[in-house]
Amino acid sequence: MKTIPVEAYFIVSMILFGLGVIGLVARRNLVTVLMSLELALNAVNIAFVGADAQMGLVEGQVFALFIIALAAAEAAVGLGIIIAIFRYRYVESTDEITDMRG
Amino acid sequence: MVRLIVFLMFSAWAIISGVGVITFTNPIYVILWLLSALIAVAGIFFTAGAELVGALQLLIYAVAIAVFYVFVLTAVPWEKAVKKGSHYRMEGVLSLPLVILLYVEMAIVFFLGITASPEGKLRAFIERLGNTEVVGSILFTKYFFAFEVVSLVLLIGMIGAVLIGRKESQTYEDDTR
Repeated sequence: MKTIPVEAYFIVSMILFGLGVIGLVARRNLVTVLMSLELALNAVNIAFVGADAQMGLVEGQVFALFIIALAAAEAAVGLGIIIAIFRYRYVESTDEITDMRG
Repeated sequence: MVRLIVFLMFSAWAIISGVGVITFTNPIYVILWLLSALIAVAGIFFTAGAELVGALQLLIYAVAIAVFYVFVLTAVPWEKAVKKGSHYRMEGVLSLPLVILLYVEMAIVFFLGITASPEGKLRAFIERLGNTEVVGSILFTKYFFAFEVVSLVLLIGMIGAVLIGRKESQTYEDDTR
């Protein structure tokens, strides 16, 4: 169980999380922004599960299950909001949603 | 050794898929790259010995959520939207120092945390019972209240998605332009 060093899991997790953050900032389409968010959530899961394999615990896997469940809820609500925005405004770009600018 | 090689293979696959997720322009290609990344992450879970999380990753993420994204992408008439570029190139380049700062912070926190990590008190149980049974017994005893709260959150999310996504009888005027 300890043939893979935990640093390897953390490095993969960091790289994937950084890619997700870059996607969150640099993406213009609303749906692809949500997809980048899913990538970042998966990176966090890798860190949890890798730390579990190192330490011989299972709490991280339990939290990974919670993260998967919350990601499902987040995808449902987020995509519902995106469909509602598209239905009212016909926009798909994040810089055109300026209705709450005040 | 074989486990390390398989882990490196899945890691390279996941990182290449992640680069594909943030670079491609067509949303359908992006969801395919995301599906590839999710399958690779499930492989990483399997190499870490977390069979239950890997199986649920495949079932929930790679099947349910990815199909949900594809369904939304195909059901909504995106061609009515005003076409622009797919990326904020300027903002993406300007945010790179911040992302690198985030990388450095994560590296410091992670590699300080490794030295302070406790050694496993459950390892004997895991080797005797198998990973899935230990996860289930911990989940349904110590984290039972959190489990029920998650089910409540899923119910509220489902109701909210139905309420938000339903068709209104009248649309509101856009008075901002």
